[in-house]
Amino acid sequence: MFLSVGVRFEANVEALNMVETAGNYGKHRRVPYLVEEDGKLKTVYVPAISGESLAHAYQEHLVREALSAGLPVCDDCQRGEFYKSMNKVHLGKKVNPIPDDPKAIEEAIVKACVVEDVGGFLYAEKPPVRRSSAFQVSYALPVKSVALFATSEPQLHARHAQMDASSKKGNASEQMIYYVETGTALYGFTFNLDLDAVGVSAITSKPVLDGDEIKKRREVSLKALFRMLSSSQFGAKLSRFFPVGGITELVVAVTDHPFVVTSPIYDDYIEKTKRRLEVLKSFGEESFLVVAGEEKVPEEALKEAIDYLNEKGAF
Amino acid sequence: MVETEYEGIVKMLRFFVQTKNFSYVDRIGNALNPEPVEVTLLEALRAFRSIRESASIGGDGRRYVEKDGNKIPVPGIPSDEEVKKFLDDVRSDMGVAKLVATLALSYPSKKENSGGDEWCF
Repeated sequence: MFLSVGVRFEANVEALNMVETAGNYGKHRRVPYLVEEDGKLKTVYVPAISGESLAHAYQEHLVREALSAGLPVCDDCQRGEFYKSMNKVHLGKKVNPIPDDPKAIEEAIVKACVVEDVGGFLYAEKPPVRRSSAFQVSYALPVKSVALFATSEPQLHARHAQMDASSKKGNASEQMIYYVETGTALYGFTFNLDLDAVGVSAITSKPVLDGDEIKKRREVSLKALFRMLSSSQFGAKLSRFFPVGGITELVVAVTDHPFVVTSPIYDDYIEKTKRRLEVLKSFGEESFLVVAGEEKVPEEALKEAIDYLNEKGAF
Repeated sequence: MVETEYEGIVKMLRFFVQTKNFSYVDRIGNALNPEPVEVTLLEALRAFRSIRESASIGGDGRRYVEKDGNKIPVPGIPSDEEVKKFLDDVRSDMGVAKLVATLALSYPSKKENSGGDEWCF
């Protein structure tokens, strides 16, 4: 089973993805973006949130859900440090001695850690072992039709220190001013989850875990997505720049084989997704689609998708 | 050192390379049209000003930043004439952007102790 989610969310005054600090200036991630104006394409620079940032948040939620379900998560991942068995030092914590066979290495990692099972890894030693992530996530980018209204603006802040003549050293200032570049946009991103890849070897395509364990892992993978979207716990600087806004629209498609919803950066993405699924139906492929907007809240739509997968025996 | 009409910009980008920030030089060097060069130069100048203003001043009166235990001299800010000429030239020939980025990535043939004419601007 393959799950694909398109999310639109409004975020005002957010600092979800900062890229670097130069002096007293913290910059928001920005990307070049093609927009059409007066029948011509042009490039504009818009605030963006990287897929890495969203993937990191998802995996942090996956850690929590897996642990609360009593599933294994390695020490590195429990700390939110997703090294993913990248070398002998990290792999050695899971399996010792380290086997020579790539299949045995993959099996040991998958069995030891849900995050590396679902999120993939690259063991860059001899022999190298690679496991693709079962989930995929796009950058979050402004919706095309309103991209020109997206802003990336520095906000001035100051930190103040009470200093009298005795405590003042050198040319230290009582006030330290700094700028945080904040973004404001209606963002869209896509999240895909290949449930068939969970607990299955990327080398042999055969299960490396028993059926019950695979079902539990699929369930926590979905719950982690639910929690991430429901709680808006993704991105950086939430402590002082928690975005004002929330999910405005969400579409979830569940199919037997890989199918990705039309990107929510386009205004007609729900209609297009429906039409594309109709074509799949004509091939005899079963599918499920639920939309959250004015009538349904995102949680209701996600719950319906999870219930559908449950009925289909995915977990 | 090879002389170009965009020496200040080359020195500024070289400073970022020395501080292991390759973002600006990569974006200018790989740009396929003038817009990314314009935006990147704006961002680079903004960041560079912030870095320069908060840089330490050594005994010789020159500015430097410390990175991994090394003192890296902070060059001067490119002049407005140079920036305008560079952007005008890039609009007519994208090869100019690639040349500047390539020079910034190279070793200067003469050692730049100060990193540039920081007193001039």
